[in-house]
Amino acid sequence: MQFLAGRLLAGASTLAVLSVLIFTATAVLPGDASGSLAGPDASAAERAAIRAELGLDRPAAERYLDWAAGVLRGDLGTAWVGGRPVAELLADRLPVSALPAGLALVVIVPLASGLGLLAGMRAGRGADRAVSAGALVTAAVPEFLTASLLVAVFAGWLRWLPRGSMVPLGESPLADPQILVLPVACLCLVGLATATRLVRASAAEVAATPYVESARLNGVRGLRLAFAHVLPNAAGPAVQVVAVVVGALVGGAVVVETLLGYPGVGLELAQAVARRDVPVVQGLTLALAAVALAALLLGDVVRRLLDPTGRYR
Amino acid sequence: MSPAGAPRGRSNLVPLAALGAVLPVLLVALLGPLVAPSLAAGSPTDQVGAPFGAPGPVHPLGTDVLGRDVVARVLTGGASVVGLAAGATVLAGVAGLLLGVTAGTAPRRVGELLVRAVDVLAVVPALLVVLVLATGFPGSPAAVLVAIALVSLPFSVRVNRAAAERINTAGYVETARARGDGWWRLLRHDLLPGIAPTALSETGLRFVAALYLTSTAGFLGLGAGPPAPDWGRMVAENLPGAALSPWPFLVPALLLVVLGVGVNLLVDDLAGRWASGVSDG
Repeated sequence: MQFLAGRLLAGASTLAVLSVLIFTATAVLPGDASGSLAGPDASAAERAAIRAELGLDRPAAERYLDWAAGVLRGDLGTAWVGGRPVAELLADRLPVSALPAGLALVVIVPLASGLGLLAGMRAGRGADRAVSAGALVTAAVPEFLTASLLVAVFAGWLRWLPRGSMVPLGESPLADPQILVLPVACLCLVGLATATRLVRASAAEVAATPYVESARLNGVRGLRLAFAHVLPNAAGPAVQVVAVVVGALVGGAVVVETLLGYPGVGLELAQAVARRDVPVVQGLTLALAAVALAALLLGDVVRRLLDPTGRYR
Repeated sequence: MSPAGAPRGRSNLVPLAALGAVLPVLLVALLGPLVAPSLAAGSPTDQVGAPFGAPGPVHPLGTDVLGRDVVARVLTGGASVVGLAAGATVLAGVAGLLLGVTAGTAPRRVGELLVRAVDVLAVVPALLVVLVLATGFPGSPAAVLVAIALVSLPFSVRVNRAAAERINTAGYVETARARGDGWWRLLRHDLLPGIAPTALSETGLRFVAALYLTSTAGFLGLGAGPPAPDWGRMVAENLPGAALSPWPFLVPALLLVVLGVGVNLLVDDLAGRWASGVSDG
């Protein structure tokens, strides 16, 4: 209980620090948005009017406290372009992004565990070399490249799948599952390589311990060795993998959704950055950082629960 | 440091092949802007023909989505990817070294606090940091560079701090400190030589991550932004026409794949050699 409270407190304070950093980087530093919103021909008076309208003429600390107080009440401000409340936007788009990300996670976790165990338990042999080399190569290619190549081949040249992933307004992407194929496939590639490498390292470490060696000498082999002896001890560290993958999926969502035009949080964020819509960028990055942070926190807790030796105290 | 039972028994074939693949790409990226005016027909930003024109004698790779010469854009579009990655790696390396040594030699509480403070950046997905800074400084490559340096700083600080802590208690450092040597002198003569190997091998890993982010930033149109040429952005711009003319899309994509995979293989190989203590030349 004390452990949980400590972690929650640490997570909350990290998020508070992050909110200050996000606000400082986007809204306090010189060259604020009044210039780009007013256009190049605006007079100094017009700019001043826009600054006053957006409240940019008030001291930075006051603006931050206003914003932070709003965030705590669930009010993330209003988009400069379009005038929608950012919280409403987030509630709209987050589920749309969560669907392919969740599906990707469902594919990645068992597949990475299987491949990682296979490679880690036979460290240095053929299967390990193949899996390790494949993971190393895949991890080195940015997701926008793998995703672009997938789109060029399957949507461009072969025409098996739709090129974009537009979802009609107000409809669920599930209404036309075909448009989910490319986003999920791209997101899977993002996390699979990283996850496999982490599971492999953890499994290789466990497979080299004396108790696995003695089990092996007792005639325990194959799947039973993997599931009864290696996995329980490798699972704790491997849970962290899920947290890392969630973090990677958050970044991956921005890239993959932008590339495919899939209407999730990532696309919304990339567009907000492009048109310099500061409240939207602030709100969405804070929310996405909170998602990544929550995954890390959850990973910590589950890891502690899973650890068979209870050495994490 | 290497995971137990990592695949060893290395041959020189893989690193040599990787080096052979990476070097030409780096040459194109770094020297391309110098030779582009004499090699390519037209400037990288001028329209010279119809969009997605087929390759011909004047434009060996054809034209791109806006009818610009692809050769000129390929030659000039790699500098931002490689240059920003190298700059961010160096910046984070130097800052990480100074902060890491400070944290490693300062009283334990202070060191812990410093690492915790920098660690805040490590929990955020890297791309978010880049996006936030790009919003604050639109159209600025320097903002992308600083963002990528910030993202890799926590790892640099952590590794350098661990190395500094190890050396800090060594006899010769204690002697120098007892002699009354100043902090800077201690750093230069006693700590740095011991930390340098760790710092350098960690630099390779951060460069791989930085390349990943600079090309992604280019793809998303961050940094210098259009119409400046950038391999990452060329992939985005020319993907819709890949069925019409594959080269404007495929050439920068393949250059980036070769660069990423090659550098990663090289760094992995070097790290492995380091860990197993095998050095042959």
